Amino acid sequence: MVNPGYRHFKGEDWVDPTPPPSSLPHVDEIGSTSAPLKSASYFIGSVCKEYNEDFMLCKNESRDPAHCLQEGRKVTRCAISVLNKIEKECLDEFRAHWQCLDAKNQELGKCRGPEKTYNACLFKAFGWNKIVPDAPKNKPQIHERTPLTQ
Amino acid sequence: MPVPFESFIPFGVMTAMFMATATGIRFAQTKRNEGKAVRYSLDDWERKMMARDHQLTGTMRGQVDDVIAPPQFKVNSSWKVYESLRNDFA
Repeated sequence: MVNPGYRHFKGEDWVDPTPPPSSLPHVDEIGSTSAPLKSASYFIGSVCKEYNEDFMLCKNESRDPAHCLQEGRKVTRCAISVLNKIEKECLDEFRAHWQCLDAKNQELGKCRGPEKTYNACLFKAFGWNKIVPDAPKNKPQIHERTPLTQ
Repeated sequence: MPVPFESFIPFGVMTAMFMATATGIRFAQTKRNEGKAVRYSLDDWERKMMARDHQLTGTMRGQVDDVIAPPQFKVNSSWKVYESLRNDFA
């Protein structure tokens, strides 16, 4: 990648000269882009619920970045563990679902077919159910409704 | 009575102009989005996620599903220096 005015110095070779202090524990960054993350979002949310809620409450206390580093590391590690599990067991269904999302403006409602096989695979492998939190309890979940045209 | 075919020529020209415009727009949009459909109704969250995708893959519409990011993702400073790269909403 070429940065403006620096055709002689590739953007990929620019390294931050002020990295975080080495006293902080190292945590890997998540390498997934937006479509796979959206596909795995409900499962990350249900499995990592406590860590996510801790982080949100901590952020509520103070927006200072240094205040919530520990909770942030836990959130990242939990998400990495969920993605690792998904990719180990259900890689093909996962890929089919997020590639469908990528083609449809990342709208979950347009990819219910691949989502069905994906949810079934994850339920069989780990027992995870996709549940939309705060949905009305007396009606079926939106991804389990049969469409009117069927 | 014979059909006045000469009068249909301007209609043909107009139709051809419309088709040329549509083809040109479709070609430009497809090229800009790497063969995928245009993304619409983007809010701030989606734009910032697309900027992150740009950091991870080099293009705004590229997608990868690796679990761990390459080490350059954490230490690259182009994004820190150039505000316009981070906010490059296409």
